[in-house]
Amino acid sequence: MQRITIPEILQDEWFKKGYKPPVFEEKDDTNLDDVEAVFKDSEEHHVMEKRKEEEQQPTTMNAFELISMSKGLNLENLFDAEQGFKRETRFTSKCPANEIIHKIEAAAKPLGFDVHKKNYKMRLESSKAGRKGNLNVATEIFQMAPSLHMVELRKAKGDTLEFHKFYKNLSTCLEDVVWKTEEDMKEVK
Amino acid sequence: MGCASSKRSKQLHGYEDPSVLAAETPFTVSEVESLEELYKKLSNSIIADGLIHKEEFHLALFKNRNQRNLFADRVFDLFDLKHNGVIDFGEFVRSLGIFHPNAPVADKIAFAFKLYDLRQTGFIEREELKEMVLALLHESELVLSEDIVEMIVDKTFSEADTKGDGKIDLEEWKAFVSKYPSLIKNMTLPYLKDISIAFPSFVVLPEIDDSDVSVSVNGD
Repeated sequence: MQRITIPEILQDEWFKKGYKPPVFEEKDDTNLDDVEAVFKDSEEHHVMEKRKEEEQQPTTMNAFELISMSKGLNLENLFDAEQGFKRETRFTSKCPANEIIHKIEAAAKPLGFDVHKKNYKMRLESSKAGRKGNLNVATEIFQMAPSLHMVELRKAKGDTLEFHKFYKNLSTCLEDVVWKTEEDMKEVK
Repeated sequence: MGCASSKRSKQLHGYEDPSVLAAETPFTVSEVESLEELYKKLSNSIIADGLIHKEEFHLALFKNRNQRNLFADRVFDLFDLKHNGVIDFGEFVRSLGIFHPNAPVADKIAFAFKLYDLRQTGFIEREELKEMVLALLHESELVLSEDIVEMIVDKTFSEADTKGDGKIDLEEWKAFVSKYPSLIKNMTLPYLKDISIAFPSFVVLPEIDDSDVSVSVNGD
């Protein structure tokens, strides 16, 4: 009688009972419920009924969401600038929303990312494994005014430094799309 | 008692025992001790009196002591619980406690409401919302036409003001936040959970009580 092999154990019913394959533990502090809802597709996950009528256009930016971007309301700055790289970034654009989507897609694919789109939200998944698993970026476009959009990019999974590098690469390809970057926006006179 | 604690109370105004502050906030005792280090740095950056003045607050947030900002003013006022124009250590820890990842969401929602209630009327009036939007646009050097600003304010306000009385009360605010949870995203500082790593307090040794030491029997 031979000793059972690992692959055989993994197949065994006894082993499979209550088994949860290991997952990279992500201390994911960003709230991605709304983005997840779009991609999960099941009715119970649809966050709001309202979203259905707005499917034809990007979500209009909520005034309070806009306000919450103020430097005066982001207290992490109290703890020194050397805090590491941010997990999300934004830029504004005067291009139409569809154009922004196409440009991001065109820029991300050569960088080795698979692109999933739904309405005005996107998921960019790196095909190469990084330091903390595959880098996964969620993007969303908000409409501030008919000809002004805010684009948000958030790290959903993976290494923050890699996210930072990705964004730097992406922004060089998006020069004609970006109107004001976060640095421009937060520049203090 | 001893000289260690009385020396500390001279340096830190509003100094309270870390275990008291730990009991009343989501911070652990060692996290409160780490906050002491940060507080010392901030409260002596311009005026070496161990109290955080508005200028020092601006310096910390904007790296510019003269920066004027509507929102920073609101945060400062809310931290200054005694309303004496300065933030002492106790006020600092208690207010930051609300930003801890483990703090109750209800506290965060209430704090945000008070922040945005500029004139402290107990309501967020439409004019206040507009004022804040304009302040943010000014800060970001984004110029939008009057019509567009009105449109942004209108859309948000009408959605939040479900009672249609021209102002948002706490109840309406709570309902609005549960619809859009990311509105209070900046009310949580994940960094606070790792603060003992960033600001280790080597100098302070926790006093070990004999009763804290447990003796194991049977080598368990």
